[in-house]
Amino acid sequence: MKTVFVRQERCVGCRHCEVACAIEHSLGRNLLSAIQEKKVSYPRIYVESDDAYQTFPNRCRHCDPAPCMQVCPTGALYRDEETGSVLVAYEKCIQCAVCAMACPFGIISFSQVHELDTNREVNTKCDDCIRRQREGSIPACAEACKTGALIFGDADDLIRTSRIDFTARLIGSRGAEISLPAVPENVSAYRKIMETVAGL
Amino acid sequence: MCDPKTMRMEAEKRSLDRTDQEMNLVTIQDGIETAWDRLSSQQPQCGFGQLGVCCNNCAMGPCRIDPFGEKAKRGVCGADVDTIVARNLLDDLCVGASAHSDHGREVVEVMRETARGQAEGYRITDGKKLQRLAAEYGIPVSGRSNEAIAEDLANGMLEEYGCIKNHLQLSDRAPEPTRAIWEKTGIVPRGIDREIVEAMHRIHMGVDADYVNILLHAMRTALGDGWGGSMIATECSDILFGTPKPLSSEVNLGTLSTDKVNVVLHGHNPLLSEMIVAAAEDPGMKQYAEKKGAKGINLVGMCCTGNELLMRSGVPIAGNVLDQELAIATGAVEAMIVDYQCIYPSIPATAACYHTRVITTSRKAKIPGAEYMEFHPKTALATAKEIIKRAIDAYPDRDPNRVRIPGKPMKLMAGFSEEAICSALGGTYKPLIDAIVAGSIRGAVGVVGCNNPKIRHDYGHVTLAQELIKRNILVVETGCAAIACGKAGLLLPEAADQAGEGLKGVCNLLGIPPVLHMGSCVDNSRILVMAAKIANELGVGIGDLPIGGAAPEWYSQKAISIGTYFVASGVYTVLGIPPKIFGSQNVLTLLADGVKGITNSSFAVEPDPVKAADLLEAEIERKRTALKI
Repeated sequence: MKTVFVRQERCVGCRHCEVACAIEHSLGRNLLSAIQEKKVSYPRIYVESDDAYQTFPNRCRHCDPAPCMQVCPTGALYRDEETGSVLVAYEKCIQCAVCAMACPFGIISFSQVHELDTNREVNTKCDDCIRRQREGSIPACAEACKTGALIFGDADDLIRTSRIDFTARLIGSRGAEISLPAVPENVSAYRKIMETVAGL
Repeated sequence: MCDPKTMRMEAEKRSLDRTDQEMNLVTIQDGIETAWDRLSSQQPQCGFGQLGVCCNNCAMGPCRIDPFGEKAKRGVCGADVDTIVARNLLDDLCVGASAHSDHGREVVEVMRETARGQAEGYRITDGKKLQRLAAEYGIPVSGRSNEAIAEDLANGMLEEYGCIKNHLQLSDRAPEPTRAIWEKTGIVPRGIDREIVEAMHRIHMGVDADYVNILLHAMRTALGDGWGGSMIATECSDILFGTPKPLSSEVNLGTLSTDKVNVVLHGHNPLLSEMIVAAAEDPGMKQYAEKKGAKGINLVGMCCTGNELLMRSGVPIAGNVLDQELAIATGAVEAMIVDYQCIYPSIPATAACYHTRVITTSRKAKIPGAEYMEFHPKTALATAKEIIKRAIDAYPDRDPNRVRIPGKPMKLMAGFSEEAICSALGGTYKPLIDAIVAGSIRGAVGVVGCNNPKIRHDYGHVTLAQELIKRNILVVETGCAAIACGKAGLLLPEAADQAGEGLKGVCNLLGIPPVLHMGSCVDNSRILVMAAKIANELGVGIGDLPIGGAAPEWYSQKAISIGTYFVASGVYTVLGIPPKIFGSQNVLTLLADGVKGITNSSFAVEPDPVKAADLLEAEIERKRTALKI
C-alpha cells in the first residue's frame, strides 16, 4: 500500500504543499495560469496550526474501507483498484455533503471543477494525484515538501523506518545507528520560544 | 465568535490596557478587522521564513534550506544556511537603519532650509544645542548668527550620509574603550548611507558568504544608524523644536474627545506634526471648528510622531502601534494624519467604516484609499492649516450613536531627554553613579520597541518594567514601550511605590518616575549618549556598565538595527520575539555568545518578561562584579 506519510515534527507550515496541490488540479497545471483560471483550483491538503504555532498537513488518507464511500448515496466515490486511491466521479456528486460528515479527518470540501461544464460545487477531495501517479510521478504535495514532512512510499517501509528509529533512540546508549536525525537543537529552541509566546 | 463572554475574553486576551480591551471588544462585536484578525488568518506562517532559511534574492531562486538537514542543504548558488540566515538578517537590519536615517536626513534638510529662510513656520529653537553640536563639528560660532551656524551644521551632517571622510563625527561621542573595540574589530561606521549600500552589495550573490563577516558588517551598519542617522534625527529635531524637558500629559484612548474635533497624528517624523500643533492654535481654526458644531480641536499623538509631540509640547498620546485601528473604532476620529513608518496599509479600509479621513503627507508613503496632502517645508504651515480644516469638515459627519470613548485618560510624565535627566540630577551624572556604586540602584535597562500581536498588547513592556524597578533597576524607555508603560501608570512619580526601596528613595528624592520616557525610536540615541557620558565619567567603555536593553514586543526591522547597535555598543539586549535566525545554529551561537568576546555584550531571546528580567538582572550583577561594585 503506497501512501503519503506525514512526519508532523518536520512540518514548518510553509504551505508549499497547498500551492503545489492547487496547481496540479488546475486546468493549466501551471502556477501563473492557475491563479487566473475562472474556476479556481483550491488546495486539497490543509496545513492547519494550533495556538502554539505547531502545524500539521492534513489530507485524505484514502481509507479502506472508506467511510465517505460507504455513505455516498449516489456512488460518486469509488476506489481506483490499481493505486487504492478513493476518487470522485464529479458528475455523480449531488453536493449532499454526507461524505464530509462521515470523514474522520475533516478534509472534504466542495468547489467548482473544470472537468464539469456546470458551476456546481462538488466534492473536491484529494485524488492522490492519480494523474501524476499514472504518469510515473509522486503526488504533488510530497514532491513539493522540502523538509520531508510529506513522503510518498510504501506505508510499511515508511512505518518501518520510524519504528527502527524509535528503537534506536530507545537503545541509543548502546551506540545504535539513528537513521532519522532528531529535530535539531536550534529548531526545537525556536519552537519552545514560540510556545512561550503563545502562552503569554 | 458571537457569544458575549467569548468576545470579552478574546478582547482581554488581546490587550493589557482596559481602554484597549474596550475598543478591542468593539472591533470584535462590529466585525472591524484588526491586526489580531490578520495574524490569525495568516496562520500557519511559513517556517522557512520564520527560521530565516528562505532566500528570495535572485532569479535562480527562491531557495530554502531544509532546517532538518535531510533535503536541500544549499541554495542554487551554493549558499549554505549560515550564509542565507546572516544575509537575510543584514537585509532586514538595513531596512531598519534606512528608515531611521532617512527620517534623520529629512530633519537636517529642513534645518538647512530653515537656516536659509526657506521653511515656513520653522525656527532655531535650541540655539545652545546648535552651538554645542557646531563645536563638535568644528564649525566656528563666535559672532555668527544661529542661521549661519545651522546651515554649516546641516551641511556637515548631510556629509555624514555619503561621506568620504570615513568616519562619523557623532561616533566620537562613544567612550574611548568602546571606540577602541570598534577599531580593533573593523566596525567603525564610515558613513550612514555607505554602510547600507555596502551591505546591499555584500548581499548580492557571490559576494559575502562568510556569516561572521556579514554579521560584523551588520554591526557596522547599525552603528551608522545609532551613532549617525538616529542621533542626527534626535539632535536636529531638538534644535528645531526644542530639547525636551519634564512635563505632564495624558495617555490612552480616553484622550480622544467626545465633543471636539479629534485629529490623530501618527507616524514618526515631527516635521509636519509640529506645524499642525502650531496651526491648531490659530484662533481662526478654533472658530471654524465651533462653526461646524465642535467645542474645539483635540490633537492627540500616536506611535513615535506622538512621542515626539508629547516630549516637546505635551500633546496627549492616544496609544502605540497596535492602537491605530482601535482609535478609529472609537468612531470619534475626524482625521488620522500620517507621515511614515508603522502605518498599517489597511488604515483607509478601517477608516472607511466610519467618517474618519486618513491623510498621507509624505511623497515616500502614499496609501491607496487615503487623501494625499504633500508636505513641503516651504508651505508647511499652510498645509497644516488645510489639513486641520479637512478634519473639521469631517466633524458634522460623525455619528454620535457610534462614538464609544473608553474611559478616562491616564496621567503621565514625559520629556526626559538626556539633558533633562542630567539636569534633574543637578547637572552631573555623579549622583546617579554614586547611587549605582552604593547599590541603591543596581543598574539601568532601556526597554524599547514596538507592539506585536503575537504578544498580548503591552504585556511584555509593562511586566518587564515592573519586574525591573522592583529589583532596583532604573528603566528608561522610548517608542511604543514608553507609551505602554504610560498607559499602565508607570511614568508617574507615584509609580516609585512599585519600585524596590533603593530606587524608590532616589525617585522620591528627585521627584521622577522609576520609568523615564526618553522619546521616540530614533531617540534611542539619547540612551547611547547617556551611557557614553556615564562611561566617560567612570573612564570605562559602555560594555563595562551595569546596563541592558530589551525589546519585549518588537516587530519592526528598525528594532533589529537598534538591538544591534545596542549590542555593538556594549549593551546586552533581550528580545521578546525571536528574530528570523533560528535556522542557523552558527548565527545563533555567534549572536548569543561569540559576540561577548568582542563587545562584552550579546543578544538573548526570552518572551517571558519575568525571565527576561532575570537575565537582565544577572547581566547587571555580572558587570557590577567586574567593576568591583
